[in-house]
Amino acid sequence: MISFILLALLNGLCIGASRAINGRLGSHIGAFPTSWWNHAVGFALLSALLLLTPGPTPALLETLHSAPLLSYAGGVIGVLFVALNSHVLPRIGTTRTAVLVISGQMVTGVLLDFHGQWHTSTLAQLAGVALIVAGIYLSRRPVKPAASLATR
Amino acid sequence: MFPMLKGSTNLLLALLGGVLLALMIKLNGELARYSSALFSSWVAHGIGALAALLIVCLISTKSARHHTNSSPGKAPRWSYLGGIPGAFTVVLAGITVNSPLGLAGSLALMMVGQVIFGLLTDQRGWFGVPRRPLTRRDELVTVCVLAGSALIIFSR
Repeated sequence: MISFILLALLNGLCIGASRAINGRLGSHIGAFPTSWWNHAVGFALLSALLLLTPGPTPALLETLHSAPLLSYAGGVIGVLFVALNSHVLPRIGTTRTAVLVISGQMVTGVLLDFHGQWHTSTLAQLAGVALIVAGIYLSRRPVKPAASLATR
Repeated sequence: MFPMLKGSTNLLLALLGGVLLALMIKLNGELARYSSALFSSWVAHGIGALAALLIVCLISTKSARHHTNSSPGKAPRWSYLGGIPGAFTVVLAGITVNSPLGLAGSLALMMVGQVIFGLLTDQRGWFGVPRRPLTRRDELVTVCVLAGSALIIFSR
């Protein structure tokens, strides 16, 4: 369990680093070209990892047949996600990007995990969502997107 | 890229990014159940590279004229390598979502890691991020979101 916790924490650092690096590239070449570089470099790295990993690699055709079609949409959603991050981060900063992405993530997570049954925990989840929404409401204040770029 | 967007619209785009991320992790986790975390990440990146290429080709003629926000100078070489930590993200998510942590637990810990990273980079300007001091309001917002998220995770 501890190792899973550490892996998930490390994942957060990886997300932050990827987002910050892509934000920098995005401010030079644009959000969608940045998204392409992100996926192409990632694909190359993962191809190498797959080749180097010992043990059974799942048969490509078998997986293609058995997994539901919708599960392949993750890659397409990822393109939009990276483009949005690259656009937003140089304009509103790393912390605020992280906090707002997290807010969207958590509320969506609650919705995805909700299967129509009300428990006592549902109330606590709603309270959590309310806290997040309150936080987002607080964050709504005038932002000057040009200033951050000009002072660089 | 999005010339008409100003002010708080960027905040909304960041929120939308969070929605997309949760969906993406869910779908990639599903794909990982049928194969492995590494394999599903590989497939997702391959499909993503093709989709991004398509989008870039479709918008390239328009965006070239409207791309007014670009920074001066050439992009540093390291800035092309964001895909490396990004690739590990999908691998790690594929592992932890299918562990006892589940989707919400994974999201909670990833979010703490992200906030720690955000605080460090905003203060020190790592990766060429514009330096910006945290305001009291930023702190309050962060505490609210972290507390709300913790409530969601630990009430499951």
